[in-house]
Amino acid sequence: MSTIDPAVAAIYEAAGNEAKNNSRHPADAGASADAAASADTGTSPDGARSAEAEVDVVSETPEQRRLRFERDAMQYVDQLYSAAMRMARNPADAEDLVQEAYTKAFSAFHQYKPGTNLKAWLYRILTNTYINLYRKRQREPLQSNSDTIEDWQLARAESHTSSGLRSAEAEALDHLPDSDVKRALQAIPEEFRLAVYFADVEGFAYKEISDIMNTPIGTVMSRLHRGRKMLRDMLADYAAERGFKAATDSGAAAESTTQENRK
Amino acid sequence: MSDCQGLGDCDDARMQRIYEYLDGALTHSDIAEIKDHLDGCPECLEEYDLECVIRKVVKRSCTEAAPENLKNAILDRIHSIRPVEA
Repeated sequence: MSTIDPAVAAIYEAAGNEAKNNSRHPADAGASADAAASADTGTSPDGARSAEAEVDVVSETPEQRRLRFERDAMQYVDQLYSAAMRMARNPADAEDLVQEAYTKAFSAFHQYKPGTNLKAWLYRILTNTYINLYRKRQREPLQSNSDTIEDWQLARAESHTSSGLRSAEAEALDHLPDSDVKRALQAIPEEFRLAVYFADVEGFAYKEISDIMNTPIGTVMSRLHRGRKMLRDMLADYAAERGFKAATDSGAAAESTTQENRK
Repeated sequence: MSDCQGLGDCDDARMQRIYEYLDGALTHSDIAEIKDHLDGCPECLEEYDLECVIRKVVKRSCTEAAPENLKNAILDRIHSIRPVEA
C-alpha cells in the first residue's frame, strides 16, 4: 500500500487550511460565509494572535486554551447538533451526544493543530463519540492511502444556471415538506446517510469525509453514490404520494397544476 | 432515464460525473468539459438540476438550531474540567 509522499502531504496540508475546507456546492453562497468566519477567527482583538495558525500551543496557559476553544469551537454547536440529530434520531440523545463530543474535544484540544480544519476535527470526534456511545460497532480499518486524490488540483464547479428550465419533478421535490426530507434521510442506512449529510449539508470534500468517517475515499464515494440514489428514489416516492406526480406526467405542466393536485 | 452518453455510457456513470461535478472533486478541465456538455444537453441538465434541488432541500430541512441550554451546558462542563497540559 503506497503512502502519501511527504511533499504531497505538505502541499495538501497547506491547501487544506485554505479554501479546501469549505462547501463545494456551486449554488451555495452561505458556506463561503462560514469559511470566512472560521478563517477570521484568528483575528482576535487582543492582537496577540494575528492568525489562528500562529497560536503557540506549547506555551499557552490552560486558561488561554479554554478561551481559544470557546472562541473557535463553540460556533459550531448548531451544526454539530443538526448532524447529531441525523445520528441519534431524537433531541435528547442528540444533545447528550453533542455535549459529550464537546467535552472530549475540549479535553483533547491540545492535540488539535491550529490552522487545520477545526470543523472537520470536531465532526470526527462527534462521529467517534456516536459510534462509541451509541453504536458500539466494530471500527472499520484505518483509511488506506491507496486512493490519494490530488486535492489541491480540485476545482469547484461554478454555479451552472439552468435558465429556469426546471423539470416538474425538480419542482415537486422542492415543495416537499421538511418532515418528508428528514424521514427519507432517516430511512437510508446510517453509513450512507451520514456520508450524504457530510457532503450535501456540510459541503465536506471526499478526503474530509474519509477522515471523519475513518473510511477510504473510495468507500466514501460509493456510499455517496448509493446514498444519493436511495434518497432520490425515496423523495420521488414521497412526492408521488403527495400527488406531485401528476405534474410530472403532464410534462411542462403549469405550477398551478401542481397546486391543484396537492389538494 | 435517457439516451445521452455525453457524461458516461450508463446512468450510473453519468450520475457519478454529476456528483463529482457538484462535489468539487474534478479538475478545471473536467469541469469545463461537463459545463459545456450541460449547456447543450437538456437531458443531463435536468438530472443536474434535480441533484441541485435535492441538495437544497436536504440542507434546508436539516439545518436545526441547538436548544438554548445546550451551549450553556457545554460551557459549564468545560469550566469544570481541568485542562490537559500540552
